[in-house]
Amino acid sequence: MRDVAVIGAGMIEFGELYEQSTDDMAEAAFLNALDDVDYGISPDEIDAGWLGTSNIAGDANSGLGLAHPTGQFEIPIMRVENACATGSSAFRAAVEAVRAGSADVALVLGVEKMHDSAEGLIANAALDQVWRGRGVTMPAFFGMRATRHMHEFGTTREQIAEVSVKNHENGSKYPYAHYQFTCDVEDVVQSPQVTYPLQLYDCCPVTDGAAATIIASEDVADNYTDDPIWAAGSGLSTDSLLRGNDSALVGFEATTQAANQAYDQANIGPEDIDVAEVHDCFTITELITYEDLGFCEKGEGGQFVEEGTVHLDGEKPVNPSGGLLAKGHPIGATGVAQINEIYEQLRGEAGAVQVGNDPQYGLQHNIGIGRNATGSVSCVNVLSRER
Amino acid sequence: MHEPPHWRDRPQNERLLARECRTCGYVSFPEHRRICKRCQDEVEWDEVRLQERGTVRSYVVQNRLPDEFETPLPLAVLDMPQETDGEPARVYGLFTETEPDDIEIGMVADADLRQLFDINGLPVHSFKFKLPRGER
Ligand SMILES: [Zn+2]
Repeated sequence: MRDVAVIGAGMIEFGELYEQSTDDMAEAAFLNALDDVDYGISPDEIDAGWLGTSNIAGDANSGLGLAHPTGQFEIPIMRVENACATGSSAFRAAVEAVRAGSADVALVLGVEKMHDSAEGLIANAALDQVWRGRGVTMPAFFGMRATRHMHEFGTTREQIAEVSVKNHENGSKYPYAHYQFTCDVEDVVQSPQVTYPLQLYDCCPVTDGAAATIIASEDVADNYTDDPIWAAGSGLSTDSLLRGNDSALVGFEATTQAANQAYDQANIGPEDIDVAEVHDCFTITELITYEDLGFCEKGEGGQFVEEGTVHLDGEKPVNPSGGLLAKGHPIGATGVAQINEIYEQLRGEAGAVQVGNDPQYGLQHNIGIGRNATGSVSCVNVLSRER
Repeated sequence: MHEPPHWRDRPQNERLLARECRTCGYVSFPEHRRICKRCQDEVEWDEVRLQERGTVRSYVVQNRLPDEFETPLPLAVLDMPQETDGEPARVYGLFTETEPDDIEIGMVADADLRQLFDINGLPVHSFKFKLPRGER
């Protein structure tokens, strides 16, 4: 098996992009990724593509959603959809194909328009199967773990709010983030109630966005850059709250499973991760994810964030980009953007949000909810500065 | 809205009929597959009835929902024991006639058969939860 490196990354500013179509956003992210390749790249050197999108806007049912805006015709393209782990799953699939030798240079493109049909999305989630889902919204799926985490471990409302404070602080320094404001714990707990115990500032915004990543095999990576960032390990798993394991009431076991796969493949442990971009669709999701990824012990997530360990200048910076809470969560683009952010961090190019610990290993994580929350999917990718 | 699924799921929704795996004891509800979610094998199943009283394992109170719903709307994940011995089924359930402040983890709640909504005039029945009589 060959080693695979990220050699280029492009994004657009996330936000309410009413004036842009899915294709507009995809095209811009692609052009930015081409521009980012150190020694340049010709579009015809790309020999495979993976498109991550949930197609919320009904704009792209196949690989054509990648081919049309980028001009990448006559090559194999697969569309990947895997709930909120769509973007990271697309990256994982592309890496595996290049590793196996079926392509040398591949494009991973994640794109989502959330704003054209936000009402439809919420209504669909709320009105479906009688027992499992009727009237159950996204914040409920996650809030359920918050209530239980507080009950079982004494996690406080204020500790959960700290995640939002940290990520908005980071997001205010990150140029691509949807929201650029800062807030304090008081603002979070005073914000409007969405689904107890989660309030407005505990929830990520509805955001459009696109991101593109270019990867290359070890055989050709040198043609493009002296500073490639290597795909060191990846994991993917699914699990269900309704399998009856009590641990699923306070965690997302799919994350632990995916992380262990990724750590094993990279031959490292959670203690080796220097920077992470994780799925903070809600504050509680990030807090629990510290535990699921092995960054701290089960039940200690509240203390972990309160003590500042995960802050930009902490020992284990998490979501220097501002995370989904500040940056937004355009489903297909989210994971690809996170890969790009880790790539920038490991190259030391993350500007105002560059972590200061000379990062060697970075981790990217998504968790997705499906089947009316009874099933969840998680994808974890580890990138490394050294091959 | 999908109509056939509501018809297929009537035994679960209207009679709390579940299935217990003979190999590992896992209770499948509301699903009724041939493969067990826990053993991951095709196994023998026994039909079992669930009690109409469950225990709240966690909950939320939904305040922002589409217009069809009255808010605040409490929602819980509950363990519903079998009428006989064995593991409970873990389910989601909406609450009705219950003050959000009255819900806590560990409390019991009773399942109450209700018409949840109708599809083209056909009523769909299932259970909602509420505090046991006498505690309200
Ligand atoms: Zn079984």
